[in-house]
Amino acid sequence: MTAPLLEVEDLRVTFGTDDGDVRAVQGLSFTVSEGETLAVVGESGSGKTVAALAIMRLLPRYARIEGSIRFRGTSLLDLDDDGMRGLQGDDLAMVFQDPMTALNPVITVGDQIVEAIRTHRDVTEAAARERAAELLDLVGIPEPRRRLDSYPHEFSGGMRQRAMIAMAISNDPKLLIADEPTTALDVTVQAQVMEVIRRVQEATGTAVMLVTHDLGLVAGTADRIQVMYGGRLFESGDTDTVFYGSRNPYTLGLMASIPSAVGRTAHRLEPIPGSPPSLINLPEGCVFGPRCAFATDACRTEPELRAVDAATGHATRCHRADELPALIAARAAPREAGA
Amino acid sequence: MLAYAVRRVLATVPLLVLGTFIVYVLVAVSGDPLAKLATCNTCDQSAFDRIIDLYDLDKPIPERYANWIVNAVQGDFGPAVSYGSLDAGALVLERAANSARIAIPAFLIIMAIAVALGVYSAVNQYSRLDYAVTGLSFLGISLPTFVFALLLQTIMIWMLDGFGWRPFYVTGMRTIELDGFLDMIRSHVLPVITLVLVLTASESRFQRAAMLEVINSDYIRTARAKGVPHRRVILRHGLRNALIPMVTIWALDFAALLGGSVVTETIFAWPGLGPLFISAVTQLDLNLTMAIVMLTSLLVITFNLIADLAYGWLDPRIRYE
Amino acid sequence: MSEAAIDAREGITTESRSFGRQARDRFRRHRLAMVALVVLALLTLSFIVGPWLSPYAFSDQDFTALNQGPSLAHPFGTDPIGRDLMVRTFIGGRYSLRIALLIALLTTAIGTVIGAVSGYFGGVVGAVVDQLINLFLVVPALIILIVLAARYGSGPNAIAVVIALLSWPLIARIVRGSFLQSREQEFVLAARAAGASTVRIMFRHILPNVFGPIVVNATLLIGIAIILESTLGFLGLGVRPPVPTLGNLIAEAKGALQTKPSAALIPGGFIVAITLCANFIGDGLRDALDPTARRS
Repeated sequence: MTAPLLEVEDLRVTFGTDDGDVRAVQGLSFTVSEGETLAVVGESGSGKTVAALAIMRLLPRYARIEGSIRFRGTSLLDLDDDGMRGLQGDDLAMVFQDPMTALNPVITVGDQIVEAIRTHRDVTEAAARERAAELLDLVGIPEPRRRLDSYPHEFSGGMRQRAMIAMAISNDPKLLIADEPTTALDVTVQAQVMEVIRRVQEATGTAVMLVTHDLGLVAGTADRIQVMYGGRLFESGDTDTVFYGSRNPYTLGLMASIPSAVGRTAHRLEPIPGSPPSLINLPEGCVFGPRCAFATDACRTEPELRAVDAATGHATRCHRADELPALIAARAAPREAGA
Repeated sequence: MLAYAVRRVLATVPLLVLGTFIVYVLVAVSGDPLAKLATCNTCDQSAFDRIIDLYDLDKPIPERYANWIVNAVQGDFGPAVSYGSLDAGALVLERAANSARIAIPAFLIIMAIAVALGVYSAVNQYSRLDYAVTGLSFLGISLPTFVFALLLQTIMIWMLDGFGWRPFYVTGMRTIELDGFLDMIRSHVLPVITLVLVLTASESRFQRAAMLEVINSDYIRTARAKGVPHRRVILRHGLRNALIPMVTIWALDFAALLGGSVVTETIFAWPGLGPLFISAVTQLDLNLTMAIVMLTSLLVITFNLIADLAYGWLDPRIRYE
Repeated sequence: MSEAAIDAREGITTESRSFGRQARDRFRRHRLAMVALVVLALLTLSFIVGPWLSPYAFSDQDFTALNQGPSLAHPFGTDPIGRDLMVRTFIGGRYSLRIALLIALLTTAIGTVIGAVSGYFGGVVGAVVDQLINLFLVVPALIILIVLAARYGSGPNAIAVVIALLSWPLIARIVRGSFLQSREQEFVLAARAAGASTVRIMFRHILPNVFGPIVVNATLLIGIAIILESTLGFLGLGVRPPVPTLGNLIAEAKGALQTKPSAALIPGGFIVAITLCANFIGDGLRDALDPTARRS
């Protein structure tokens, strides 16, 4: 295997506020390989969006970013602004959550895509427009040539997200970061947009880092899943491994709260009790401890992320990872008996 | 769009009528033109009759107002009795031109400074210059016009005492035709500076707030994510959006400046609409007061309309039907 | 603020400190506002106590010192008929501050009631308020203010009423917006279902939600009122002499700018000081009471 496309090592992001430091990301390490799809899953406040913006270097200036982010061997945190701009929108592109606000309302969709192209490629306006029309066609916008001159408000939400994707892939990126690309959209449109992402991935061969809170969304899309909580990586592994062999109570809790879970083992909808922790005053020990059904005294110390199966890269952050399958079987038994 | 403009103008007509009626009544009940004659020993009944006839005093106020507005619409604002019975409309237009001599340069300077300061301090939020701009605009908002103008005049007086020379005149208007270019400039500078100070403070704060909102918006982040250079992000993506809310503020401020700045013009003895209005009100010159009210109202209505139409031009989301 | 930062801050919402305490802490941290509060208190104190401590009374004439600049005996100088300008400035400050407070109070009261009623009931009352607000956009309020002040504004209370009658639309608009929003919200429906009276719903349930903006605007109004009142006084349209408001003092002194600028500039400095304090305090209150407005 060649060196990964993206290597993140011990990433820490801190926001200084009047009420204390907000530790949004704590010691996050992961990699993304060429062409693969990595899903980063977690509730809001888990640090997944902050991590994505840190990679893109789009965090506000008062954010403290430590650790290392290497993209194709280049250390992004050491690049100057001009060097970083050379990557942004070229090899490294991003699609944002809310297509309603992410496009400039006073500039036509076509001009915004043309700008993305001409920022990085020395082509004529006409050639860039031609390319923009092709891109709109690729993401499934009808009458692409006419639509170039539309303003964002003349597009529906789903169309705008398609346009966003077209803009992001306009320079054939190596890595496309999609931050909750479907959250702001209607359920029916969500599937279409995911389909568009899959299609552009096929067409361009880009790797995709899909940031989402919705485990259900990633089942058919992702090669690997990585679950975040309280700014930390809680579990990572192949999609199947995480779905069918999770060794982390938080991941299990997330899966239990998917309305239509994978397979037929579906149970009652079980939300995780409580809410994500304050990132200023994180709980002592395991940050998920206070909400965890399996917490014991051991969980008063923070568990390390450790390998479950080194071969597949399955890793989890839980003291009771080894006992977990048995614990779950024990809990499920009485319920099935009752049903 | 024309239909929209016409509808907008028509909608303001009742308000204009109501507003001018209120002012008319207020001034009409304030002073009795006959009172001045009461102390006149040589005046006979015919003098009283002439006054009564002149002001329609034998008719009720609403009827007098109706007569006034019918004439006003035809451009006849009646004689300005406190100004040797000159035609009130012509007098007001002449003074309005004088007000414009300082209002227009002041407005252009205000716009330029406010946009530059507001944008710069928003982009460099919490920088030293941002704090300086914020501090200065607090001072500008807290400093009454007349105090600032008096301060400027005091400085000029000191300079005259100290060096026997001062760069700018403290009172009065001088023109190119009568006094030459240099004197024209020397007389215009202080009133213009005063007007600039008053409005720059508040406008640059508005501009800063508008720009801050824009640069923290998602589409600016999108532009950065595309690798667009900083300057281009600020000017192409940021500024255009941040100017949209300013249009209304500019319109109101420019209309107010053209309508004559009472304090500034009074202090610098500038023959504009401001001092004319004060003297018309204090001398209870009804025709003159009403002519000025009419002009300032029309200015406000016109510039509001222009702002509305400019809005539609700047912001493609707005369409007028 | 970027979405990321909001995400990061979402964790803060579980804070246990009460809103009131947080607001107080935030205000205390606003150093300029604290300084302004102290300065304004000192100014007020000197306006109240100063004249008692002074050896001169407000209309005492010192014929040995006519029309003088600042000196030891008369720190602010004397006017053309030998009256001590320090005492006159303090008394003037007393009047000006009193008028400004009255304006802020009246304006806030009128604006709040009109805004609440028009926002809650909508319909005709709302439409009338709308048109009144629009009226000021057609005939400038300043014009009406000057006409009214020239005719009715000769006393300290009268001028306050006149200014308040023309300044309420801003607060009315804020209150109205909030009432329009709250009217259909669940806590209001719940209160209505529980049989609370209309007045109770309006003032106990909805009004507290607009409390912050109202207080902030009332504070800023003090600054605006001082400027308006002194400007009218300066133009000879406000409170009539012999009542010495700060504006009147400047108007009296402006003729002698050449020989004795201090007589105009000292009261001018007091006006600036009071207004600056009011603006800083208002700014601090805005930060304290409306934390979301902080970074924008």
